[in-house]
Amino acid sequence: MSRPASTWAREAAAVFAKEWRSELRTRYALNTLALFAINTLVVVSASLGPLGAAPGRATETLPVLLWLILLFAAAAGLPRAFVHEEETQTATALRLAATPSALFCGKLAYSASVLAALEALVAPLFLAVMNLDVPRPGLLVATLAAGGFGLAAGSTLVAAIIAQARGQGTLFAVLSFPVLLPLLLLAVELTRAAFAGGVPGGPEGPVSQGGAGVAMVQLLLYDGAVTTAGLMLFPVVWNP
Amino acid sequence: MKRTAAAWLLWLWIAAVIWGAFEYAPLAAKFIGQSSRILFFHVPMAWVAFVAFMTAGVASLRYLFGTHPPRDPRHDRAARAAIELGLVFGVLATVTGAIWSRIMWGAYWNWDPRQTSIVMALIFNGAYLALRDAVEDGEKRARLAAAYAALGLVVTPFFIFVVPRITFSLHPEPVINARGRVEMETRMLQVLLASGAGFTALFFWLHGLRTRLLGLSALAEHRTAADAPAFAPIDPAGAAPGTSN
Repeated sequence: MSRPASTWAREAAAVFAKEWRSELRTRYALNTLALFAINTLVVVSASLGPLGAAPGRATETLPVLLWLILLFAAAAGLPRAFVHEEETQTATALRLAATPSALFCGKLAYSASVLAALEALVAPLFLAVMNLDVPRPGLLVATLAAGGFGLAAGSTLVAAIIAQARGQGTLFAVLSFPVLLPLLLLAVELTRAAFAGGVPGGPEGPVSQGGAGVAMVQLLLYDGAVTTAGLMLFPVVWNP
Repeated sequence: MKRTAAAWLLWLWIAAVIWGAFEYAPLAAKFIGQSSRILFFHVPMAWVAFVAFMTAGVASLRYLFGTHPPRDPRHDRAARAAIELGLVFGVLATVTGAIWSRIMWGAYWNWDPRQTSIVMALIFNGAYLALRDAVEDGEKRARLAAAYAALGLVVTPFFIFVVPRITFSLHPEPVINARGRVEMETRMLQVLLASGAGFTALFFWLHGLRTRLLGLSALAEHRTAADAPAFAPIDPAGAAPGTSN
């Protein structure tokens, strides 16, 4: 804590660079996330059939499917961030080398960038396969950015917790679900607004009182709250 | 002796509440049959589930950041006991609510905002206990579980503000409402408040008992471990020395 801010930032950047370097050696997370997301996308699209979702229902149901794909892809790949450190027994070296909060920020930046890459791959595919027009593309991009960051923030802390427990794969899903649910509800609501576009007479989200603005503020607040909680709680999770 | 007297008093109090719920309080208008009486039990159960969740959150924060002494296992046991009881009261609130919902709304379940919230609380409590089961080491288990409970505490306000905004509610709101006043017949309100106070006291009584019990079993485990010789030969029958009783 007493270290100057520049050292802290350098540590966080070093962790971020190390994560990407070791990721690019194996490409484990990238491959898992991308394949998982594409597989689910194929399942969803194929089972909707050649005509896709019924036009009236598309803006209601498709956002749910998009975020479920992203959630499960994240659950498949992101816990790796800390589980890998425990498995290869590099966690102790990392404990000695980096300030916990800098480590958390480095890992969070890595997870967020992986998710952003995933979204950049999945979202256009999803729109193309589902034959969707997006009347408010700006809102969709903002939602994907804020939602992806929140997903990364929540997952990073939960991943740090489960890395020290048994049964990590299932435990991650069990622990992260109640924490990430508000984020998913908000992201789905905002994505609906982006797809529906507030066209007069068009389908509205179910009772979105206050509209997309309120939901976006709440989503950003969620991101901020979970990141702050992560910064405060990560040191006690990480250091015995 | 004092404890016993308090427990008897609580017993009498709750007996009086049960009598009041069926004999003293009138039926609410616009409710089918006798169904409004379930309110005297359903609302306190939901309230106690919330109190239990908050108790667990505060105990977890005290475990993580308390300094007198640091990492006091008593706070960890208090958090665990509160989560367990919260699960019990939460299930009772859900079941009583679903029965009433079937009578009044025609379906056991319809994702009313309060139903969503209680389900998330139940899932959270279950996840907390699953996490505890997945960690062997006592200190580490306490630390990770407390961090998870603290994360839950941070996320809770979003359920309170976000979920009701997204879905509409049929839930009656005579006590907690946006109009800021209590809309309930006086005798019903008396019984409801008495019931709330009684079940809150019941929660804290059970919580104290459970926390003490967890403390005693931790002590017994500690003694057993201390009694065992440091280099005991492994007993082929599986009974380690000192654990035979």
